Amino acid sequence: MLSQLSAQKTRKPGERLFCLLLVLGSVYLFWQAYSIAGFSELSSAGAFPMAASAVMILASSIIFVNTLKLPAAEGVRFIYHCFPPVVAIIMALILVYAVILENLGFILSSFLFLFIAIQFLYRRSVLTTLSITLLALIVVYIIFRLVFQVVLPEGIVPERDIIASIKALWR
Amino acid sequence: MDALNFFAMSWLSPELLGLTALGTFLGIYVGAIPGLSVTMAVSILISFTFSWDVNNALCLMVGVYMGGVYGGSRTAILLNIPGAPSAIATALDGYPLAKKGLAGEAIGLSTVMSVVGGFVGIIVLALAAPTISEFAITFQPRDYMMLGILGIMLVGSLSGNSLAKGIFAGAFGLLIGTVGLDPMTAEERFTFGIIELWDGINPVAVMIGLFGISEALHQLHHMDKAIIKQKIARIIPKGSDVKKYLPLSLQTSFIGVIVGALPGTGGDIAALMAYDHAKRVTKDPEVPFGDGAKEGLIAPESANNAAVGGAYIPMLTLGIPGDAVTAVFIGALFIHGLNPGPLLMVEQPHMFWFTVGNLTLANIFVLIFGLTGIRLFSKIVECPKGVLIPLIFLLSIVGAYAINNALTDIWWMLAFGGLGYFMRLYGFPVGPVILGVILSSLTDENWRRAILTERNSMADLFLNLFSSPLSTLLFVTIVLILFTQTPIWTTWLKPKWTKK
Repeated sequence: MLSQLSAQKTRKPGERLFCLLLVLGSVYLFWQAYSIAGFSELSSAGAFPMAASAVMILASSIIFVNTLKLPAAEGVRFIYHCFPPVVAIIMALILVYAVILENLGFILSSFLFLFIAIQFLYRRSVLTTLSITLLALIVVYIIFRLVFQVVLPEGIVPERDIIASIKALWR
Repeated sequence: MDALNFFAMSWLSPELLGLTALGTFLGIYVGAIPGLSVTMAVSILISFTFSWDVNNALCLMVGVYMGGVYGGSRTAILLNIPGAPSAIATALDGYPLAKKGLAGEAIGLSTVMSVVGGFVGIIVLALAAPTISEFAITFQPRDYMMLGILGIMLVGSLSGNSLAKGIFAGAFGLLIGTVGLDPMTAEERFTFGIIELWDGINPVAVMIGLFGISEALHQLHHMDKAIIKQKIARIIPKGSDVKKYLPLSLQTSFIGVIVGALPGTGGDIAALMAYDHAKRVTKDPEVPFGDGAKEGLIAPESANNAAVGGAYIPMLTLGIPGDAVTAVFIGALFIHGLNPGPLLMVEQPHMFWFTVGNLTLANIFVLIFGLTGIRLFSKIVECPKGVLIPLIFLLSIVGAYAINNALTDIWWMLAFGGLGYFMRLYGFPVGPVILGVILSSLTDENWRRAILTERNSMADLFLNLFSSPLSTLLFVTIVLILFTQTPIWTTWLKPKWTKK
């Protein structure tokens, strides 16, 4: 955080491209904002979005020009310092988790996600990972599904029937 | 009498009391565990609690907020890793104290002084808010518009290394807030013909993406940081120490509450300013600052907790959040059907007194939990990142799904998570984005009201600004902030100014 407060002196790999994309994105959004109501009235539905996107174009252009002026940081590589494989793999894993969440249901998909992610990041024996995953899943399930009553996708596990039969046993 | 009833509401109901205690407890740990932030926790909590009764949800979130601001200090003292930005200044003297074997004493003293600061903040909130609220009723639409812009600009300029990046982030947030059907004319804005976009992008999905996913992705860069353990002995502070440092704690609490109340400045700035104040007023510290001076620990801790009460002032009276956490909080209030702003005090005074009572209660719980459970604390804080980070992702995804039981919100959250990752990587602050999203409709509606009263004449709007002292002040402040970023100031005037 402290380092954030000090001024940036060098440019990271990919920064120029990112800033350029922001400029282009802002221009596209300005065009979209213009198509709402054009320059008809200052109080139109499109006036405020146009102003906001115009500010975005201006600010992103300044940022882009400033970035061009900065020297590249030495010894910093995009693949190692900016977007390391671990981030890419975890991002892909989250994406897969989001896709299978509704079809497989919360319990199965979360189990798979947690198991793979913890095994990959924590690197302990399969048994350790399995017990951590199960413990975490049980705690999350009890807190959010049973206590907070959050509706979670059921998928292929007939959760409600299982809970109902457990409740029936208690009675 | 009514006010007292509402004040005591959360104290007397076992359910509300329990939720406040739970929230504070969770907050302390969330604030303390590096990689988890209060903003992240409150964003995720909103999605799980939006179907709850408003009082229950508020008790939990107020507890998390109050506990979280305090919790950051523990890891700052024990591990030299501030658990929250507001604890950066705490680490400067807290960690040297811990290295000398005085970790327990430092934690005890910081707990007591945090609570003192918290109380000062709450008292000022209770006394000042009703007056400010009355004054705020006289605000014109243009004043609200400018207050919104000012808040975003201040957060933008203070939270990053470049105002342009802060302004870009704020404007982007404002634009995200306009997606959907226009509330005044029902015209489609940025919907691209997709019906799901008519309701706009859910702010909670944006918040979880920017604060949950992107923060956790960044934590993946530092997986191998080793944690150094500290021994903790006595934790209850000495009475003589409390008495000795109380005047400094009170002074810095007032700094905290004022800084916290300004839009755009939160606990982190308050703590750094208080640290600086302590350095200036302490003539002969027993130990030099930076080597474990107790003054350097007490000042930021009192100030950052006092800033919580301060931050509630603009939030409840003007509907303007001061920083990212309060922006998330305002989002929660809106979701629960409350309309923070000057009319809140007129229409729902009970909510105000309920919040004040609840903050007081949470502050007492900070004292209780702060002085106990150290062993459990060391165990939890040592939770390996390899386990913690997947859990954050899990909670973020489930939280986003829980908003509307729809996958769309998960996709939005992931998109903003990915974007937020690169924004953080290249030094763009993400706080102003959230502030922009929350303030978008307020700024847009007030802009249109202001320009309509001037019959769409920009010249009239500009000239009439100067008929009101408040509008003039706000306008001049905005212009000054922009001016200080121009080359005229940065390359020509500022060097001369600092030379003098």
